[in-house]
Parts: sequence; C-alpha cells; structure tokens
Amino acid sequence: MTAQEVRLCGLLLREHFGDVVERVGTHLLKGGAQNLRTIIHETGISLDLIKKSLCVLVQHRICTFSAGRKGPGSPTEYRTSCDHILRILRYPRYIYSAKTLYGDTGELIIEELLQRGEMTMSSIVKTVADRLTQNMEEGRSMDYSEVSSAFSKLVETHFLQRCPPVAGAGTKESATPANTDKPAAPANTAPPTAESFPDCYKVPHVTLIGRGKRQLSPEDGEDQRNAKKAKMDIETHGDEGIHWQVNFERFHLHFRDQAIISAVANKLDQTSSEIVRTMLRMSEVTTPPTATYTKPLSANEIFRSLPTSYSIPRPILDQYLTLLVDDPMEFVGKAGESGGGMYVVNLHRALANLARATLESVVQERFGSRSARIFRLLLRKRHLEQKQVEDFAMIPAKEAKDMLYTLLSQNLVQLQEIPKTPDYAPSRTFYLYTVNQLPTARMLLQNCYKTVANLIDRRLFETKDSKRLLEKSQRIEAILASLQASGAEPEQLTEVEEMITAPEKQQLETLRLHINKLDSAENQVDETIFILESYVNSTATAAS
Amino acid sequence: MAEVKVKKEANLSDPAEVENRIRELCQQFPHGITDQVIQNDMPHLEPQQRAMAINKLLSLGQLDLLRNSTGLLYRMKDTQSTSKMKGSDNQEKLVYQIIEDAGNKGIWSRDIRFKSNLPLTEINKILKNLESKKLIKAVKSVAASKKKVYMLYNLQPDRSVTGGAWYSDQDFESEFVEVLNQQCFKFLQSKAEVARDSKQSPMVQRNSSFATSHEVWKYICELGISKVDLSMDDIETILNTLIYDGKVEMTVIAAKEGTVGSVDGQMKLYRGVNPILQPTGLVRTPCGLCPVFDDCHEGGEISPSNCIYMTEWLDF
Repeated sequence: MTAQEVRLCGLLLREHFGDVVERVGTHLLKGGAQNLRTIIHETGISLDLIKKSLCVLVQHRICTFSAGRKGPGSPTEYRTSCDHILRILRYPRYIYSAKTLYGDTGELIIEELLQRGEMTMSSIVKTVADRLTQNMEEGRSMDYSEVSSAFSKLVETHFLQRCPPVAGAGTKESATPANTDKPAAPANTAPPTAESFPDCYKVPHVTLIGRGKRQLSPEDGEDQRNAKKAKMDIETHGDEGIHWQVNFERFHLHFRDQAIISAVANKLDQTSSEIVRTMLRMSEVTTPPTATYTKPLSANEIFRSLPTSYSIPRPILDQYLTLLVDDPMEFVGKAGESGGGMYVVNLHRALANLARATLESVVQERFGSRSARIFRLLLRKRHLEQKQVEDFAMIPAKEAKDMLYTLLSQNLVQLQEIPKTPDYAPSRTFYLYTVNQLPTARMLLQNCYKTVANLIDRRLFETKDSKRLLEKSQRIEAILASLQASGAEPEQLTEVEEMITAPEKQQLETLRLHINKLDSAENQVDETIFILESYVNSTATAAS
Repeated sequence: MAEVKVKKEANLSDPAEVENRIRELCQQFPHGITDQVIQNDMPHLEPQQRAMAINKLLSLGQLDLLRNSTGLLYRMKDTQSTSKMKGSDNQEKLVYQIIEDAGNKGIWSRDIRFKSNLPLTEINKILKNLESKKLIKAVKSVAASKKKVYMLYNLQPDRSVTGGAWYSDQDFESEFVEVLNQQCFKFLQSKAEVARDSKQSPMVQRNSSFATSHEVWKYICELGISKVDLSMDDIETILNTLIYDGKVEMTVIAAKEGTVGSVDGQMKLYRGVNPILQPTGLVRTPCGLCPVFDDCHEGGEISPSNCIYMTEWLDF
C-alpha cells in the first residue's frame, strides 16, 4: 500500500460514497485494523456518521470486521485494503463485459449489484425487470422469469456468488465446512472466502411470478404507490437471507482470458485465437484461479469443443496447435503425447509476456523506438556493457549513452557494478546494464495509480470550474421536462430552451467532451493496471 | 655423397660458407628452422661459430628471429621488405618490424615507444619518414577518434579499426543503418503478407513467411542502396536490430551441407511478426509521457488541475 494507492482510493471513495466515508476509509487504510473507539477518537467524526459509513463500506465488501486480536471479548476491529477499493475503478468494465456476455439483462443485474453491494435474488430480479420495462415500448413488459434465468446463468458461470454467512451469526453447518476447506486460515484474522462454502453457487428456489412494472407517473398519487410498496414488502419469495454479490475474481479471470485471446489474435491470426478461446473456455471451471497453466486438454477434446461455425478440419487444427506451441511467446504448451497430444495454456507465461509487452510499449512511446530497442535488447540478453549495447543495437555511441542514462535515471534500466579489484576503481570495474521486469512492472503500476488519480483530479477540477453552468442546465432541463409533461406550447418550450445562451451551450459541449475523454482514459489506464496487477500477483503465487 | 660431405666439412671453418649454408637451409624450410636443424646439418660446427654466423645474418637483416612454443626459430626475411628497407638505419628497421608485427590491427605510436624503447620525438621522425616512403600508413581508429594507428601500407585495416561497413571516416552512419533496417523489414513483411494471402494450410503459410539471411542479403544487394559491399554477417547484424525492435523473429534450422546461405550446416530464418499489444492505456494519457510526472502533486506548482499538457490533450 503506497501513498499513490491511498490517494487514488480516497478519490474513488469520495466520488462514490462522499466525504465522510472517504475520511473513514482513508483513515482505515493508513492506520490498519482498528476498533470503533479508535476511529472516533482519531478522526473526530461523530459516532453516528462513522457507524453509517462503516455500514456502507461493509455492504460493499470494502471493509471487513473481525473479533479483536486481543482474544475473545475484545472490541471488534475494522480493516480495509486497497485492492477492494481499487475495484471501484473497474466497475464500468465489469458492467460492460456482463453486457457483451449476457445482454442488457446481465448488464443491469451486475450494475444493480455493484451499486448496492449485495442483494437478494428476488429484489434484483424485480428491480431489473422494472428497469427494463421502463425502457420498453408502451404496453410491453419484461417477464420476471427471463430475468431470473439470466441471473441463474450468471451464477452458473460463477460471475455471481452468495455472500458468505457473517462470521458468528452463521449457522453451525456452514461454519464447519469452511474450517475444513481452509484449515490454514485462522478464522480470526482472515475472513472466510465465499468460495469455501459448498453452496455458494446454488440458486435457491424462488417463487417469482409476474412482470416488470412501469413506474407510475407522478399524478397517480403518492399514497397509492406507498400502499403498493408496503404490500410488496410483505410478500415472501423463499430466498430471504440469501444475499448475492459479484464475484470479482471470476471477472478478473475473464479479463485475463480476453487479454490472452486478443494477444494471440494480434500475434498469429483469428483462427488461432479461437482455438485458444476454446481451450480457455473448456478449462474455465476445472482450472483453479491461481494455476500456472490450465489443465491439459487433448487435441481430440479441443476438436470436439470447437464452435461449429469454425469448420476447421482435424489436420489443420493439429497444425495450428503445433504453430501455437512453436511460437516464441509460448502461450500454449504441450504437456504430453497421449490423446493426439495434450495441450495447456501457459497462463502465467502469457501474463508475463503481456506485462513485458506493456513495459516495452511504455518505453517505446515515451522514449522512442530506439530506446525501446535498447530496452528489448537488455531484456533479451540480461546483462550488457555499454559498448555491447551500442554494437548490438547499432546505435552511435553518443546517442546510445544518452538513451541508456535516461532510461537509468527513470529506473527502467538498472546498473550492476562488478569490480575486478575490491577498491571499486572505475577503470577496473565492469558496468553491466540490466532490466528487472518485476520491479519495473511494480514501478509502472504505481505510475498508473498516480495517473488515474491525476485524471480524476482533473475531472473534478473541470466540473467544479463550470459548476454554475451545470446547475443552470440541470434546472432548465427539469423545467423543460415538467413543461412537456403538462403539455405546454412549443413556443414556451423554445423560450425556456433559449435561457442557455449559445456560448454557454458551447462550453457545456466542450465540458462534456473533456469529461468523456478523461473517463475513457481512466478506463484505458485501468486495463494497463489490470495486466500489471495480474502479472505481479502471478509471480507472487509462483514464488510461494 | 661422401665427397660432398667431406667438401662441406672442409669448408666449414669459413664463416661465409656457414652463412650461405644457413641461408640455403632457410630457403628449404620457408616456415623457419630451429637451432637443432642447423646443428644436425653441420654437426661439427662449434656453437660459437654458429652463433657468430647467425648474429651476422641477423644484423644484416637477412634473417628473422621468431619465438614459438618449442623455442627460437630462424626464418629468411622477405627479400622484398629488405629491399624496401634499403638505406634505412637500425632504428627505422626496428620500428618497421614492430609495425609489421601488429598486422592489420595497427599499432598506436605510444605502444611503439614502449616496445622499441626509443624516445617519442625520434619515433615521430621515423614514422614520418616511413610514411613518406609509402611503407606504412596511419589509420584513424573508430574506437577513439583521436587515436592514430600505424600499419603496413599494403594492408587492409581490420574491421575493429574501421568499424566495418557501418563507418565512413570514423563516423557511424546511423542513417544508412536505419535505411537498411527499414528495407529488411519491408522485405520480410511483404513476404509474410504474400504467405498470408496464399490461403494455404497454416503450416505452409508460416513456413513460407520465413526468409533466410541469404535471401535478405541478395535482396539488399539487388536494391543497390549500399555503396559498400555488405557481407552476410552485416545483414545479420541489421536483422538482429529488427529482432530487438520486436518486429522480427528468428529461428535456426538444420540445413543440408552446401545449401546456399547455410553456415556450419545451419540456416538462420527470419520472419516479420505483429506486436501482441496496441500501445498500452497508460501511454495514451498525457501522464504516461509527462516529463515532470514525478514533480506533479495536487496543490503544487505542477498539478493535474493546471497541467498544460492535459489542457492541450483535452482540447485536441
């Protein structure tokens, strides 16, 4: 956890949950696990507000709590971690990929869940059906059963999971399997993961019949709606107490697979990427999330699982597989000869290659293609003297020196001294340049955090700058809407519209463009963050 | 036979005869003779006399004294060089010899001074003298632009001195290298494209996208962009820079002996490849390229709010 991360987390919390939550959240980040009294004492916020913000954080699984470290009876401690908060940055991507996989329904389900942290299935289905109905034409509505089937699909593919029962409050039955599954994790310090419960992907039987309701227009009367609401709340659907959450890890695995597939498509061709996609899909459920490579798949199996639209004859498939194995990127490896050849996808190797390509791309864009040549050269040959770098890269000594020193000063390249004599006399010392991929990736990751924080800062600044204008346009839109609803004359409408002058309109337009640009840039940087994070995490699991 | 031997032995006392005999022996064995050979040939000769004769020949510059693993070796000196050295004094001969020994790598004047133990002024005079006689020449080394090295006039300087094809007048021709780099890549890329469009099986496609270094070399030669003759090795260095650019892949395959372009039964194959990533998200933002990134803090002199790069980027 670095200063950059804390700054970014603070900004994210403030954007989504407001100032108070931000203060509590950053305090928890900086101070580590603390009990309620300490938080009150050190932040100086009232007890009520702190309780509320902790509730918000717990609801969104950003904060966890556990019994105090000082043994039974000591006050409950709250803790949070950057990883959980940084996921907020990726929300758009989760929602977008749910849309591409499961259409609008999937998108709305994920969106609702992300906004609310956790919900019961029945309430999700109802909300989503209502929202979908609202966007449909008059007279049509969304059936609950359709939404529930989309929900079940998301659960089947593990994109959603049940929230683990709260420690202590959970029943005896669910607590025991958790302990047997993960005996190494002491129940006190690490909260049990959702995966460790046996029925975390079991969809309960829910009785939901009906269709999405259109939101009634305001003149229908408030009391009628309130009455309806009260009635609905009393209904039971048979899934009370079972809350669902988004399985972020599953989404990350999906993103990782997508990154690998697109890399293969770029490097080789579309067909090879389809084969890799098939391999990854087949092993989706069987391979544990942190595995170095997927479970071996025989060529026969792959052949049978290929989508029928891709009519690849068997011998051609074998050729493609051989090519994939031969490729120096080594995305696919061969594990054996049985069953027409057993193949695996080298997940960690692929991540390392992607991370390396990311580093190279950063150097290339920032320092030019010649510096990138030197960088790649050092990556390949590990240790080189300055003279060797000049010769191999075919760059004049003067320029090569300049580039090397620039890279060195930016910490992208490291220098290793090897003295021939113990006095480190420069004339009798080898100076070897080298690139360490992992530390460099870590450093770039920090730069990415800072970049995103900068972008958010800038966005806030831009909106603050034209706050008055934004408020005005919002007010006018509201007036317009109400006028339209009451059936006003067109002249009246244009009159109201003209309250925003042309230069103001222009300003609003540029502001919109700026915000969009900053938003999309945030998402792009997040893709870099994702690749680097996965790479750093993969090396951590490989080492342990 | 006996008669001849007797005759020889009779003449042995004459130093001139001994010298002639040694000269003959040297001509018989152009690679040089050892002391032992002379002793075997003239067993009755006193070591003293032998030494005297050899010394005389050495001082006349007709013999060369060499040292190899087994001991000292005498060899006839080139008549050519001796004739060239006519009218030179001993010092000049010595310097000439040192330069000759250095071969086509050349030798620096300071190293000549160490080897000859002559004062620098003297050496400079001799070097000027020899240069004017067109016996030696001075070549500027690429390693250090101020350093002149001397070698025999008729020698072609070593690559380490001239820097090979990539240098003209001690300057590295980076433009030339870049042009070659681009041309090689174009060639490999077009080859890969042709292979992709051929609609053959993937294996054949891949294999036909490869080009041997010999093919690339021929292509470059036929283009005629190079004024100097490039060797296969030169082209391979260029292709290597393409590998470091991440644009090209190389594999080595076993080749039949005698195939064109194979070296030691191996052939190097190159092919153009696509990058696996588009420019990553980080560098598409101004911060990814910002020169003052580390000095940027909210509320500071440089901050995201007043960043000019950001403003330019947003208005773009």
